Amino acid sequence: MKNAVDFLKSCMNRVMLFRRHSESQESFRALFGRFKEVLETNNRSLEIITDMGEKLGGDYLFDITYIRNAYTSLTQEIGQSIRGLDALTRNRYPRLREAFLRIDRQIQLMLNDAPAGLRVMTVFFEDIGWDMTRDVGGKNAHLAEVKNHLGLTIPDGFAITTYAYDEFIRHNGLQEKINALSKGPSVAEEAIGELRESIMRGAVPAEIEGDLRKTLATLRERSGKCFVAVRSSAEEEDSDFSFAGQFETVLNVPLSDDAVTDAFKRVIGSLFSSKAIAYQRRLGYTVGQMKMAAGCMVMVDPATSGVIYSANPDGDADTLMINATWGLGASVVEGQTDADLYIVKKGIQPQLLHAKYGKKQSMIVSRREGGVSEVRTPAEWAAKPCLTPEQAAELAIQAMTIEKYFGSPQDIEWAIGRDGKMYILQARPLLVPDSSESLRLSPRPAGDKAYPVLFQDEGVVVQRGAAAGRVFIVREPAELDGVPRGAVLVARHDSSLFVRVMPFVSAIITETGTPTSHMAALSRELKVPTIVNAGNVTQILKQDEEVTVYAGENNAVGVYKGIVREILARAQQDSAGMENIYEFRKKRYILRYVSPLNLIDPLMEEFTPEGCKTMHDILRFIHEKAVAELVESARKESARLRGSEKVVKLDIPIPAGILMMDMGGGLDVGRDEKKATFEQVTSVPLRAIVKGMMHPGVWHSEAVSLGVNDFLSSMMRMSDIVSDSERFAGYNVAVISKEYVNLSLRFGYHFNMLDCYCGEFARNNHIYFRFVGGATDITKRSRRVELIATILREYGFGITTKGDLIVARLTNIGREEMEHILDQTGRLIAFTRQLDALLRDEGDVGYYAQRFLTGDYEV
Amino acid sequence: MTPYKVMIIDDEKIVGDMARMSLEQDGYAVETFLSAEPALARLKDERFDVVVTDLKMKGIDGMEVLRTIKGSYPETKVIMITAFANLDAAIEALRADVHDFFPKPVKIKELKASIQRALSKP
Repeated sequence: MKNAVDFLKSCMNRVMLFRRHSESQESFRALFGRFKEVLETNNRSLEIITDMGEKLGGDYLFDITYIRNAYTSLTQEIGQSIRGLDALTRNRYPRLREAFLRIDRQIQLMLNDAPAGLRVMTVFFEDIGWDMTRDVGGKNAHLAEVKNHLGLTIPDGFAITTYAYDEFIRHNGLQEKINALSKGPSVAEEAIGELRESIMRGAVPAEIEGDLRKTLATLRERSGKCFVAVRSSAEEEDSDFSFAGQFETVLNVPLSDDAVTDAFKRVIGSLFSSKAIAYQRRLGYTVGQMKMAAGCMVMVDPATSGVIYSANPDGDADTLMINATWGLGASVVEGQTDADLYIVKKGIQPQLLHAKYGKKQSMIVSRREGGVSEVRTPAEWAAKPCLTPEQAAELAIQAMTIEKYFGSPQDIEWAIGRDGKMYILQARPLLVPDSSESLRLSPRPAGDKAYPVLFQDEGVVVQRGAAAGRVFIVREPAELDGVPRGAVLVARHDSSLFVRVMPFVSAIITETGTPTSHMAALSRELKVPTIVNAGNVTQILKQDEEVTVYAGENNAVGVYKGIVREILARAQQDSAGMENIYEFRKKRYILRYVSPLNLIDPLMEEFTPEGCKTMHDILRFIHEKAVAELVESARKESARLRGSEKVVKLDIPIPAGILMMDMGGGLDVGRDEKKATFEQVTSVPLRAIVKGMMHPGVWHSEAVSLGVNDFLSSMMRMSDIVSDSERFAGYNVAVISKEYVNLSLRFGYHFNMLDCYCGEFARNNHIYFRFVGGATDITKRSRRVELIATILREYGFGITTKGDLIVARLTNIGREEMEHILDQTGRLIAFTRQLDALLRDEGDVGYYAQRFLTGDYEV
Repeated sequence: MTPYKVMIIDDEKIVGDMARMSLEQDGYAVETFLSAEPALARLKDERFDVVVTDLKMKGIDGMEVLRTIKGSYPETKVIMITAFANLDAAIEALRADVHDFFPKPVKIKELKASIQRALSKP
């Protein structure tokens, strides 16, 4: 009876499937077509981004017409990519378009040289977004990120905008006086003094004064009776230049409308001190070009405060330096007090290496009525350490967090309140003297031949430059934690995960990779000399060996033994110092909204449309979601394919029972053929996988004995499918095209899915590998997952595991490399088919992994 | 030895600024102008070895600059750069004895090489 019911059920299923199939096949084919279109538009976009990076890199004379044209093409391509993703996902990501428009608005403002966008005088720190740098100035924007993204504590407060500055200057008719200053080579002290007096006498226009009053009232409500500090935050402050100590900070200002307005005026006035003017001129500004915003923050009543240099300015980037003193840190900032000095070794658990306790005879304290004064430090405190080792470690952790986030060493002001609470008051780039600076004037070398060459003229230069350091070979992502500062990072594959260490490595060389990869974009952004596609460097270069890397024009590449100063010096001369030209920086600034990549790991929380801050992020998001959609649709498609007329059976000597559905170019068989041999498979990725599965010795004989013969075993599986639940549907089905395969496999209780695109361009290519299940207990199953993970990591996969589920991803790989990896993956699938019964303890995992990797497949 | 003198005329400040930065490092004496009128006035007082001019500018355009220079100071070499490169303009410029013609963005190294060639020619 049961058999009859099963039979009926299976018949019904077949009928239903037939009907559903013809529709779905067409729609999947269409979906695959759209997927390929998205890849193409994404590629064109990335090419434009790469071109813009190159043309705006300082080696070309360019003008705004070029930027406009390039950017217009870029937005057209990205627009098409977004429409493609919308079509693929049925508009699942409507907010992506919003993100795109938000970034576009920023870029348009710059292209049109428009003033900053906000028309308000104040913005609270929690409301400052990444796109408001021009409104609130660099320093405020920086600090807002410390609070809003890193979750570190900063004092409550708000920014006074550049709009307020503009309005103030306009309202008081000061522009003319400012313009007068910019005439002539030097500026008369008298004129400066007069201007600053006019600023102090000036009135805040009524409409923005109202705004300030309201904001101050809110702050009063939130913080009670308090004082504030008013700090400068000029336009470019905290970007490429530190402006350290150029402008004024007014401490301990009573929270009254008048007092804050006065402090604001003093900060504005500090734009026009003679030292600030000289500094601005050195950076290519004409006087009056720079705008001043200000930060207004509640005064912390500190027990102790000071400054952290997140990298030791002596050049040792492995340690950081904390200066601390009692009371307010102003004395440390100005270098007046004999403060405590703590040297901390950076790391997951920072270590206090050295402490020197200063005499700290005087300290600066807030006065009750406002302002600050210097007083004698109580005798019992003076020579006592200001920080406990725990506090030093906590400060170090915060400093490392900030440094990592901004990608460069930081100069951080901090305070610890009497309640023990830690505050970050300011963070700005720390300009560590470049160790190669002194080499600038070395003579040019006669020729490279004079130096011991380890490696030459192979590879693609992604970012030009020269650097020296010790070789550190990274074989899997976990090893990134061990990369020492200043190392030359050498790896088989390029990876955007390297961004973690990029700010600290001196150069990167990889065996595979392309100049348009995400990593390449990051290398250019961070100016790390980088060479990809460099042959077998992981074999040629030895761990810990000291080398000099040269990456020059026209892919001139050289790696030399030891430190070759002449080569380092040559690279210095190659770059003309365009960064010192204001117009150049300003035009280049547009790239900040185009090329950096913030969305790196699809598993990160920020991997959302809202997390996109640049056009590159948008493209990254589109690619990831397009692949995800393809994988999911292909999975459903293969589930529908059972019983289809259109499937072709793969006729190979191992009983893998694979049915194939060709969307075009994947098979070389006649129209009505129902079988295809291995030779007839023209799908590049499927062929590579199957080749691996058939590799001598990897498909163990026990499995073969399961199915008496190939035909019978696949028939049995077919009947399994139709009589079993949906859960088994779709195993051993391959949806293919010339460049693509989605392969669903079930062997026993193991479910395995591989989705691969393997085309001409490395950046289009991906492997998505998913494995779950097993007949044995969970411990053994987890061991098998660990084994698979260990092996896949070796091939450069990024991996996530959860219980007995493993998801592995690999993107941006050239075709040949990918075929090799897929061959190995095919072997792995066959090899581990029944392995979990054999994995008796943890040691076996390493044992079998090693065996596999050395090509020994006996079990 | 007195340095060679190069004049840059381009209505976008960035072009002159970048060219100046780069050429001065190589020892040239550089003057930059944002439009043709003051540049031509300056040529009346001072002899320049090479003039690099943008083609499309408000007022007197690059083609007229080229013709004026070739008419009055034939020994001064003219290099033309333009974001709106087309064959007709290039031919017209060549007929008027332009030394070189580059579409923008132009690689600074190539521009420098061209300037050197211009200086080595009689």
